[in-house]
Amino acid sequence: MAVKRSTILWAAVVAAAVVLILLWKPTVLVYGVQRAGLYAAVAIPMALVLGIVHIVNLAHGELMMVAAYLAYFVANRLLGLDPFVAMVPVALVMAAFGWLIYKATIKHALKAPELNQLILTFGLAIAFSQIANLAFTSQSFKLSLSYVSASATIGDVSFGVFDFVYVAVAVLLAVGLRLFLQRTRMGKAALAVGQNPRGAAIVGINVDRTYGIIFSIAVGLMGIVGSLFLTKQAIFPGVGGPYTMKSFCLVAMAGVGNIVGVLYCSLALGLSEAVINGIRGYAGWSNIVFFAIIIATILVRSYRERKR
Amino acid sequence: MRRPLSFLIPLLALAAAALLPLVSGPYPLAVARSVLTYMALAISWDMLLRSGQISFGIAGFFGLGAYAAALSVLRGGMSPILSILFAGVFAGAVALILGLVILRLRAVYFSITTLALAEIFRVIIQNWSDFTGGPEGLVLPKLIFNGESKSLYWLVLAAVVIACAASTMFEKSRIRLALSAIRNNEQSAAASGIGIFKYLLVAFVVSSFIQGIVGGIQLQGYGFASPDAVFDSNYTLLPLAMALLGGIHGTPGPVIGALLLGIAAEFLKLHIPYGHLVVYGIIIVLVILFMPQGLYGLLRSRRHAVAPVAENRVDAGAWGK
Amino acid sequence: MSTLETRGLTRRFGGLVAVNNVSFSLDRGEILGVIGPNGSGKTTFINLVSGVYLPSSGSIMFKGRDITSDAPHLRARAGIARTFQLIHPLQSLTVRENVMLGFLFSRGMRLRQARVEADTICGSLGLERLDRGVAEITMLETKKMEIARALANNPEILFLDEVMAGLNVDETREMVGLVQSVSRRHNIGVGVVEHVMSVIRDLTHRVIVLENGEIIAAGPYEEVSRNPRVIAAYLGGAA
Ligand SMILES: Nc1ncnc2c1ncn2[C@@H]1O[C@H](COP(=O)(O)OP(=O)(O)OP(=O)(O)O)[C@@H](O)[C@H]1O
Ligand SMILES: [Mg+2]
Repeated sequence: MAVKRSTILWAAVVAAAVVLILLWKPTVLVYGVQRAGLYAAVAIPMALVLGIVHIVNLAHGELMMVAAYLAYFVANRLLGLDPFVAMVPVALVMAAFGWLIYKATIKHALKAPELNQLILTFGLAIAFSQIANLAFTSQSFKLSLSYVSASATIGDVSFGVFDFVYVAVAVLLAVGLRLFLQRTRMGKAALAVGQNPRGAAIVGINVDRTYGIIFSIAVGLMGIVGSLFLTKQAIFPGVGGPYTMKSFCLVAMAGVGNIVGVLYCSLALGLSEAVINGIRGYAGWSNIVFFAIIIATILVRSYRERKR
Repeated sequence: MRRPLSFLIPLLALAAAALLPLVSGPYPLAVARSVLTYMALAISWDMLLRSGQISFGIAGFFGLGAYAAALSVLRGGMSPILSILFAGVFAGAVALILGLVILRLRAVYFSITTLALAEIFRVIIQNWSDFTGGPEGLVLPKLIFNGESKSLYWLVLAAVVIACAASTMFEKSRIRLALSAIRNNEQSAAASGIGIFKYLLVAFVVSSFIQGIVGGIQLQGYGFASPDAVFDSNYTLLPLAMALLGGIHGTPGPVIGALLLGIAAEFLKLHIPYGHLVVYGIIIVLVILFMPQGLYGLLRSRRHAVAPVAENRVDAGAWGK
Repeated sequence: MSTLETRGLTRRFGGLVAVNNVSFSLDRGEILGVIGPNGSGKTTFINLVSGVYLPSSGSIMFKGRDITSDAPHLRARAGIARTFQLIHPLQSLTVRENVMLGFLFSRGMRLRQARVEADTICGSLGLERLDRGVAEITMLETKKMEIARALANNPEILFLDEVMAGLNVDETREMVGLVQSVSRRHNIGVGVVEHVMSVIRDLTHRVIVLENGEIIAAGPYEEVSRNPRVIAAYLGGAA
């Protein structure tokens, strides 16, 4: 009941915001939604890992960066593949890489205190971004694809449409993962492991393997996201870092294990960022709004949790 | 038998460090200065870590200190030495106010928030151009001690001495017991009458104060601050890796770690200009996996039980206390 | 008015009512048994009194003062001490340091003085070689250390959450004697949560029985143990 009321409240707030933005600057709405799509697409795999393996992967954004480099140098430069094609092999390679990371590092830290895991994945993040630095220097790379500048005009407002791809992918990821977790054997086992690893082990589920598979799926998905990221964005070794932070914040806002919730939270944040960006002279402040909102949410949540 | 030695070693080390400029050339001295800078940061990071809270925001308070020092000279007309003190006080005051709020968070929620704070500081300074000079940064008209390298070195050494003194004070007083108890188990700690919040706040403010001082000294030593330079994530990464390698939860670990990694980094920087920091990432990973107690901990574990980074497990869904 | 009194104490976790409308009192020098089947709310009750959780409703009075919303460490300082069912001794500290905490932080002593006092209290409980780490001591020693830690707060009320669990018959007997002498010597009101009925019988003046968070019976052990409702809920369930 309480959940329902708050949902209605949120819907009302978002609707009001949307109307206001439409009256003010319609393009802001478009860019807000597109930005939200990107954030959600990046954050959802992290939500999957946190929900089931219960580990905060601080190397999350860096894995996207690795995937993007892979898509750029191997798939595009070497094999001449368009990122939309490249995302399949890149996802597979990344999934294998994820499995390897799990087996070599994460697995051994699962029984250690959470803070060890945090520092471990922080170290991985540094290692990945510095290896990229070592291999490609800090120079940035960008594809120039003609289709990314596709635009549409409604009334007298024209805007880029390509970035809606992110929205589509985010929704696909959320829905797909939900179906996977609820309908498939593997997914159900994963959910069981996420809720109660010991219980799952008792009924004969291989917990370690499940963790490995889920981690590997998540990293594989980062292969898709990274390839898509490459279509329009310039990539450099540090490009992933901010996304780790933003993803974690979104996942925390949505609540651990709530994959669909990540979509809503991304929308709220994408829109507010776009609004700030839309105010002339204040574009530089948009990051801070993001973080301020997020810190506030984390705090409110922690407070509520305590009272509960 | 151990007593006199445990007094003697730090004293000898300090004497050696203080005399270094008299015998060393300009290049080793510059390296030593950078090692000492990171050493002070590593010690300050460890001081908060003893409570079980991991900060990823060292660069944030360091950068805040650098800007506080720069602005207090340029806009407030403060003397250089005073501006360094002001940098520490300012960083400490910001930590106090923010700490009242964010120290209610635990584990990853606290860590990520500190990371985000560093970013927020950077964005504010970058965008508040009228006052802070914006992305181009600020330049001091003249360096402290006219940029004389020996004096600058001793200044940084003074920061290390302050950090070591504060850290030792933590270790020799009730603060050590309070922080260890909090790290081990908050419920048990509270049941012994420990005001958890108060001690977290003390640790957070003191460690931020030191980071601010170091930032102020860095600014006075180089005469330049820009958002990208002073909020560089290396100021978080290097101290963290140094403390982990040397061994956490005490003063000797970060000191040893900073010496080893600081000198190694200088060597690597010469040979691999890009990406030499990969070593730091790998060291962090290896230390956590194979040697969570660090080098000093390894030495000590002959006598005592092994201490991992944090002994208490936090539930995956733990939002706060 | 008793030293410690609760009125209508209730605590919900989501839909579950872990402690339901519990009113009770405990005086200095008295030893009270708190029994009930697994999950009946005994530990939660102690958590409410010691401030780990805030109650959903009801109030807690200590020495005539309302402490319902006081922080845990303030209650410890005021004189409510406890041990934990899932013992979590502080493993970075030695046995002595564990015991010193209460002297330092509840009573505000200086380090040197706290060390002397910790040695004294450990001595009186038969705890020795206090420089050992917590990982190196036996179960009995751990339990004694927990009691010493609690006593270091200078409590007027002390809750022991299954301190006998994991001890053998001889050790249990020793602990029973220890608790009795501690209560008498320091004039402390002790609340004992215990599953071993012989301990409750030998130790307590009075017993309250919880089931599903509610008090279903109260009185001397002999009387309560014959209560059909208690037998049905607890003794029957345990058999
Ligand atoms: N933090 C919590 N969140 C949710 N439920 C809880 C929490 N703490 C306790 N409970 C529930 O409250 C009920 C009472 O638990 P409690 O630990 O107080 O029982 P107990 O009488 O001490 O049992 P035992 O004899 O096994 O120690 C149980 O159903 C337990 O699952
Ligand atoms: Mg219990």
